[in-house]
Formats: sequence, structure tokens, C-alpha cells
Amino acid sequence: MAAETGNLEQFKTGILDNNPVLVQLLGMCPALAVTNSVENALVMGGAATFVVVMSNLITSLLRNLIKPHVRILIFTLTIATFVTIADLFLKAYLFKVSQAIGAFIPLIIVNCMIICRAEVVAIKNGVGKSLADAFGIGIGFTLSLLTLGIIREILGSGTFLNYQVLPKTVWDTHAWIIMILPPGAFLTLGVVVGVVNYMRERGKVGA
Amino acid sequence: MKKFIDESWLVLTMGIAFAALLAGAQTTWQGKIRENQAKALNLAVAEVVPAMDAEQERETLDIDGNTVFKCRAADGSLAGWAVQASGGGFIDKINVVVGISPDGSEIIGVKVVSHLETPGLGNKIERVEGNPFPYQFDGKSTATPFALTKQTPATDSEIQAITGATYSSQYTMDIVNDVLTRIVPQLPKE
Repeated sequence: MAAETGNLEQFKTGILDNNPVLVQLLGMCPALAVTNSVENALVMGGAATFVVVMSNLITSLLRNLIKPHVRILIFTLTIATFVTIADLFLKAYLFKVSQAIGAFIPLIIVNCMIICRAEVVAIKNGVGKSLADAFGIGIGFTLSLLTLGIIREILGSGTFLNYQVLPKTVWDTHAWIIMILPPGAFLTLGVVVGVVNYMRERGKVGA
Repeated sequence: MKKFIDESWLVLTMGIAFAALLAGAQTTWQGKIRENQAKALNLAVAEVVPAMDAEQERETLDIDGNTVFKCRAADGSLAGWAVQASGGGFIDKINVVVGISPDGSEIIGVKVVSHLETPGLGNKIERVEGNPFPYQFDGKSTATPFALTKQTPATDSEIQAITGATYSSQYTMDIVNDVLTRIVPQLPKE
């Protein structure tokens, strides 16, 4: 990470150069577990973005009060609180999705991507930069999940956001069910990370 | 003591503040969450006892630990029973509502309310269009428990398993069988 960066740079780096899933390989659990459909990927991305924004905001506001040796405790406390709020919100307003991915929402607490942002950025920087970073990372995370979700839903179910996009007659009998199962998550992630690395090597992305 | 407070006051204060925040969120959304769960259950009951009229009062019984809804038709006659049941699934608990005819002789329908079975395979136990599995129970007699088969069923008491989800099929059928053997004989006569 560059020593002195502006807010816009900090925002962009989360989406491209420091994309949590595709470059830093953080937050793999939700990236593998809940990307079997676009809808699930979007909701998981949204929930994680909310949590990383709130966690960075609180950490950055309190950064001068936090004693170094209790900082991890404070990060975890903050993250756990906002994950629980996100979980309750989904149960109240997005009941159907929350039933589908409900088990994975509380696991955002142990998503190392979020604690990493608190430790690397929010504890040392002002509110503006911390928020820019959180939004960048959150959006980068959501876009990565979305990429996996789109590939897996189209190949595995023949649909996009539950709309049929591949011919139903063919896909009902020959769907690549493996794509919506765990192995499909690993296959897709591997290929996507490979493509991203190739493009970065060639200097097409960020750099 | 002073050192202790110096080191920990922030954690303690945050703990209290966050607890208050969570209590607030819980109180604000609790009603809505309960409503969602009740709505999902009502929809399931209405689906497995279609003759039920929503305006009629629905009696709730407790039979051997299971919640049973006594559903009435628009003219006040008995439309059927909706039995809530659950059991272990392949991954987590499967919650089911089984609709039973007024005289207890027939299954009207079986609806899975919630489950965490494998997407694409085990989730074919859901009663939605395109999933033949749950509809196999419709109209079947409650006299004999069902048996699972991988072929086309030869008799009325056989249920064809979902390809690639034999366990999910088995566990769902077990829950239905449990309702047939344990709850149905105890349904009050009208």
C-alpha cells in the first residue's frame, strides 16, 4: 500500500489493485459459499460492505482512544455488533434471501477482510480516508462476488437473477449442476483469479 | 484498579453502547421478523389445505409435541388439518407442514417451509413448480408409511427419490412417515 494516498486513490485501490477477493485473496469463505446465485452474491456483498463501512468509521473515530493491545478486541466487538444488525435487518426486510444464505451472514464476523481494513487503514487514518477505503473494499468485494455469482448462476442454473437466459429445454436436463455446488465455486474462483493475474501481469488492470 | 479502568474503560463503554444498539435493533425489527415467519407458515398452511378459508378461525392444537392447525372452509365445515413437523436433513433441520384430509385418511399436500439442503439437488424437496418430488405425496392414503425407491414407483406407497439427493428425499419422507404414524391416529374426530 502506498504511503500517502488521497481518498479517491484509496477508494479505487480497494476495487482494483487491492481487490480483497481476487488480489488479496481475503474473505474467501463467503466468496465460495454464497456465490451460487447473483441474488445471494449481491446480498452478501451489501451486508459485508455495510459492516466494513461501519467498522472503519467507528475504528477511525476512536483511533486515538484505542489502546494498542485491546485493539483486536475492539475491532471484533464493533464488527460483531454490526453483523448482528445486518442479520436482523435481512430477516426483517429480505426474508427469502436471509433464509437462503442466513447461515453465512453471522460468519461475516470472522471475515478477515474486514478486520484487515480496521488494522491496516482505519486505526491509523482519519474518517474520510477510512470511509473511502471501506467503500472501495466493500464495492470491490461485492463486484468479485457478483462476477462469481453471474458465472455460476448462468452455467449452473441457466438463469440470471432468476430470469431464464439459457434455453430452458436444454438447461433443464443438461445444467452444469456442479457450478452451483462447492466444487463449482473453487473452479470458478480459480479461473477468475487466474484471468485477473494474467491481466495484471500484462499491465491491463490498475498498475 | 486505576490501571484496570484506564486500560478497559473504552471496551466496557463500547460493550454497553453496542448492547443498547442491538437491543434497539432487535426491538424495532422483532415484530417484522415474527410477521415474516408467521406469513411463511400461513402460506404453507394455505397451500397444503387449499380448501381452508383465511377468514375462518383456525384452531391450534398440540398433539404429541407437534403443532396442528384445524382449518375450516368458508362454510365452517372442516377443511383439513395442517401438521407442523420437522426432522434432521442432510445438512440442517427440515421444517415441513403436512396437510391431512378432514377424516385423516388422505394426505392433501406436503410443503417444506425451511431447509438448508444442497442447492440444485436437495432443494428439489421444495414444493414449487418443476419439482415433482413433493407432489408425489398428494392424495396418498395415510394408512401405510411410504417407502423410497429409485425407480418409477410400482405401488401407491412408494415415493421416487430425487436423483442425486437420495438422503434429502429420505429425510423428508421420514418426517412425513412420522406424521402418519404418530400424529394422524391422534387427530380428534369431528
